[in-house]
Amino acid sequence: MTELEKQFQSPMVNLLLSIADDKLFLGHRNSDWTGIAPILEADIAFSSLAQDDIAHASAIYQLIHTLTGEDPDQIAFGRTENEYRCADIVTKNDEFNWAFAIARQFYCNTFDFVRLQRLSASSWVPLSSLAKRLCAEQAIHVDHVHSWIKHLGKGNEDSNARIQNALDTFAPYAAMLFEKPVGIDILHEAEILTDHSAFFVSWKNSIEPTIDTAGLTLNIQQDELQGGRSGKHDEDFTQSLCELQEVFSTDPLAAW
Amino acid sequence: MVSTTEIFEVLTTIPDPEMPISITDLGLIEEIVLNDTNVLIKLLPTFIGCFALPAIASDIKQKVVELQGIDSVEIEFVHDPPWSTDRITDNGRISLAEHGISVPDGSSPCCSTGTTDTVELTTSAFTCPWCNSIDTTLTSPFGPTRCKSIHFCNACRQPFERMKKV
Repeated sequence: MTELEKQFQSPMVNLLLSIADDKLFLGHRNSDWTGIAPILEADIAFSSLAQDDIAHASAIYQLIHTLTGEDPDQIAFGRTENEYRCADIVTKNDEFNWAFAIARQFYCNTFDFVRLQRLSASSWVPLSSLAKRLCAEQAIHVDHVHSWIKHLGKGNEDSNARIQNALDTFAPYAAMLFEKPVGIDILHEAEILTDHSAFFVSWKNSIEPTIDTAGLTLNIQQDELQGGRSGKHDEDFTQSLCELQEVFSTDPLAAW
Repeated sequence: MVSTTEIFEVLTTIPDPEMPISITDLGLIEEIVLNDTNVLIKLLPTFIGCFALPAIASDIKQKVVELQGIDSVEIEFVHDPPWSTDRITDNGRISLAEHGISVPDGSSPCCSTGTTDTVELTTSAFTCPWCNSIDTTLTSPFGPTRCKSIHFCNACRQPFERMKKV
């Protein structure tokens, strides 16, 4: 471990956990759609998105392992509820409503893409090189879900109303994606993170053109509430975590 | 004493488990580090979530350790530089085309351009590997493996796969 990594280990781990936990739980939720998505291509797509998200999470847990020496499986599955750093939009129950699933995916995937772009400029090379790699794959996710938003928005009155309702329902949770991971300011001050531009604005600029084309409106306000990124989770998260840990907790020391 | 060239030669005989070409033609090999009788082989995964990675690692270990003068083989997956379709060799491209898999050319898109239009999925005209027509449509950006999308040729009425451009 380098001096830099030693000095900034705590805020770095916290930032990495927020990214990996978002991806792990989103992948977990998306895999619920395997076998029951409305059309075959969407089914394959959601399963593929889930596979990517969980693999991305795994690569980031691996990076945390290089900092702390902790076993990546243990990091992924072995923490208590308040040690997870995801924003709770990723575990919100979508009630198997396709519009909800797409709206959540739209907010989260675009958020993740913009976040990875910012991390690609990090002066900490292990992070920037991984972020660049993930970003190239994330672009495919973004492209896919943006085309779904246009598809539903421009479909007919019914599909337009449903996706608008879903976007509005998930908007307050999307705003919570922007809760700052604890210690991220330290990384900015130390120039480990070099992109200081306004995150919320970049994200909004990335989603607005699609919203406009789709004939929809974006009703979202940035908020400063403390939530998942500080380990304060809601009931849907608790339930998701129970499902996620169900197998692991039967024998935490088993070899995978 | 075995050389890195000889090790590379062995790698050219290992097929990708999900693709009709060798792992060397696919451009997976980044570096071979030989230290006396121990070798470290650095590989670039096509996609991070590729299921074939453990199988590839185990195939390599099995083959390379058979070389005289090699005691241990270690595999490391690295992300820098990122793998891109540009790394597929000409031989590899010919073989993929023969199997109905189209491959993008030109330089890779870069995610740092600030737009999300880096993926070529939004454009529809890809050359059909069967009949060379460009009258083709995208069926699904997600295909049988993480690195391929599914397309349909309206001219010869055949489906085909395409390596995603990353």
